[in-house]
Amino acid sequence: MLGITILSEAYGTGAISISFTKVLGMTLCLCLAALAMDLVWGYCGILSLGHFAFFGIGGYMIGMWLMTARTEAVVRANLANRIIPPTEAEISEATALQIFSVVGAEDWPWMWAVSDSLFLSLLLVVLVPGVLALVFGWLAFRSRVTGVYLSILTQAMTLALSLYLFQNDTGLRGNNGLSGLQNIPGSTAGQAKLSIWFFWASAAALGLAYVFAAWLVSGKFGNIVRAIRDDEPRVRFLGYPVEAYKLAVFVITAIMCGIGGALFYPQAGIINPDQIAPIASIYLAVWVAIGGRGRLYGAVIGAAVVSLLSSYFTGGRAPDVNLGFYRIQWIDWWPVLLGLGFVLVTLFAPKGLGGLVDLIVRRKEP
Amino acid sequence: MSALLEVSGVSVSFDGFKAINNLSFSIGQPEMRAVIGPNGAGKTTFMDIITGKTRPDVGQVLWGEENRSLLKMSEAQIARAGIGRKFQRPTVFEDQSVRDNLRVALKKPRGPFAALTDRVTDADRARIDEIAEEIGLAAHLDRQAGILSHGQKQWLEIGMLLAQDPRLLLVDEPAAGMTTEERTHTTELLRRVAETRAVVVVEHDMDFVRKLNCRVTVLHEGSVLSEGTLDHVMADDRVIEVYLGR
Ligand SMILES: Nc1ncnc2c1ncn2[C@@H]1O[C@H](COP(=O)(O)OP(=O)(O)OP(=O)(O)O)[C@@H](O)[C@H]1O
Ligand SMILES: [Mg+2]
Repeated sequence: MLGITILSEAYGTGAISISFTKVLGMTLCLCLAALAMDLVWGYCGILSLGHFAFFGIGGYMIGMWLMTARTEAVVRANLANRIIPPTEAEISEATALQIFSVVGAEDWPWMWAVSDSLFLSLLLVVLVPGVLALVFGWLAFRSRVTGVYLSILTQAMTLALSLYLFQNDTGLRGNNGLSGLQNIPGSTAGQAKLSIWFFWASAAALGLAYVFAAWLVSGKFGNIVRAIRDDEPRVRFLGYPVEAYKLAVFVITAIMCGIGGALFYPQAGIINPDQIAPIASIYLAVWVAIGGRGRLYGAVIGAAVVSLLSSYFTGGRAPDVNLGFYRIQWIDWWPVLLGLGFVLVTLFAPKGLGGLVDLIVRRKEP
Repeated sequence: MSALLEVSGVSVSFDGFKAINNLSFSIGQPEMRAVIGPNGAGKTTFMDIITGKTRPDVGQVLWGEENRSLLKMSEAQIARAGIGRKFQRPTVFEDQSVRDNLRVALKKPRGPFAALTDRVTDADRARIDEIAEEIGLAAHLDRQAGILSHGQKQWLEIGMLLAQDPRLLLVDEPAAGMTTEERTHTTELLRRVAETRAVVVVEHDMDFVRKLNCRVTVLHEGSVLSEGTLDHVMADDRVIEVYLGR
C-alpha cells in the first residue's frame, strides 16, 4: 500500500500512473464484492447470481449526488456573471436541464429527491441494496426457493433491473448512465491526489469488510451458516429459523456490495446499466470459484488476480501473439482463457487458488 | 398421566400409495416406546409427520399440556417446542468439528442475533464435555465430524440429540452399525434418558428392543397392527404372519 503511494504521481516518484492507481483501487472494490459473494455462496451456500446488481446500485446512489453537485457547481459558475443573480429555483432548473437533456427531460425525477445531500445519498448506498435484498430474499427464502432456481431468480432480478435502467424515462439517464463521477465536488485536489485517496479508501473498506466477515464466520453464527450450506433441513430440525439466517447473510452481503460499488464508480468515472448486466454477477461467482470459495482470502485472491489479468488482457496492453497463420488478439481471446481457467480450476483445484495457500502453509508446518 | 404427544387418525399418501393409513399413537412423559415393523411399514414417515417434514392428508397431531397442533408449525418451531430427532442415516455437519456440532445443537436461543453474540460459557463447555464423555468422543472433540467412522457419527448424532435437551426424542435405528458393547451402551443411555423424557425408538433388532424393556408398537402398511409388551405382540397372530409369513 505504502509502496504504491510512494510510487504514485501525486505523492511520490510518479512511477505508477493515475490510471493504474485507479485500476488498483477499483480492483480492491471488486475484491470487496467478491468477499461478499464468498460469504453468501461459499459460506451460506446461496449461489446468488445477482450480487453485482447491488454493487451497481451502490454506484448509482453515490453517482446521483456526484453528478448533481458537480453540475450545480458548473451551472453556478456559468450564471455567476449575470446582472441579476439567479435564484435557487433557477439554478436547480438549469442543473436538471443540464443533466437530463440527453434523455429529453428537464425535470428532476423522484429518484433524485435527495441527490443534493451527501449524507442522505450515502445512506441510500446502504439502504437501497439492503432493502431490495431484504424484500427479494424474504420472498425467495420464505417460499424455499433454493439451488439453481434461486440462481435463476437472482439472474432475473439483475436482468430486470438493468433493463429498467436502460429506459430513458426511468430517471437515471437510460443507457447514458451517470458520468463525470471522477470529479469530486468541492474538492480542488487533482485526479492524481484523488486517485490515491480513493485507493486508500477502497483499501480501508476492504480491510474493514475482511475483519467483519472474519468475525461473522468465526463464531457460532458462522457454524450455523456453514451447516445451512451443507444440510439445510438438518439445521431446521435443530430448531433454527434457517430463513432468518439466510436473509441476514443475503442482506449483509448486498450492503457490502453496495458500499464497494459506491467506492468503485467514482474511480471508474462512469456507470451505466451495462454494468449490472447478468453476466457481471456471473463473473463475480467465477472469481470466487477460481479464488476458492469457503475461505475469505480465496475470494480476495481470485478477484484480484482475475480482474487484474482481465484488465491487462482487455486493456490493449497485452501484445498480440502472431502465429503466422493467425493473430491472437487478447481482447477476443481473454474470455476463452478465463473460461478455460475456470474449467481447469474446477477440475483440478476445487479449492481454488486459495487452496494453494493451504498447501504452502501445510508444507511449512511439519 | 396425560399424553405428551397424541397422533390420531393420520393418513398420508405419496402418488396414491398410502404410506400411513389412519394411524393413531400416543406417548406420555416419561415413557419409552419401541416402534417395530417390516421395511416400508412407515416408521420413518411417521417420524417425518411428527417433525413437520411431511404434512399428512388428514388427521391430528397434538402436543404438550395445551394440546397444540403441530400441523400448523414449521420444522424449526416443532424442534424448538421440544421434539428432537435422530435420523436413520446419520446426518452430522461433516465439515465441522465434533465440538462445533455439539455446540450448534446445544439448547440455547436459536435466533441470528443470539448466535452472533454467543459465547461458550463454562456451563456450555462442561455440558459439551459431559456429552462427549457419554458418547465416547471425548478424545475426538476437535476432529472433523466427516472423518469419524459410521458408528461414531451415529453416536455424535445421539450426542446432538442430548444437547438439544428435548422433551420427546425420536430415534430412528440408533443401533445400526454398532458393535455389541456399543448397543448395550446405547440401551443403557436411552433407558436413562427415558426416566425423565419421552423416547420413541425405531429398531429392527429384536434383541435390542428386548433390552429396552418397554411397550412396543408394531407398524404394518402404515397402521398400528398391535401394541403391548414385546412378548404380547410377538404372540399376536397377525404380527407372526407379517414377520414370518413371507
Ligand atoms: N417421499 C416419499 N415419496 C414417495 N414414497 C415414499 C416417500 N417416503 C416414503 N415413501 C414410501 O413410503 C413407505 C414407507 O416408508 P418408510 O421410510 O416410512 O418406511 P420404514 O418403516 O422407515 O422402512 P425402513 O425399515 O426400511 O426404514 C415406503 O414404501 C416408501 O417407499
Ligand atoms: Mg425407516
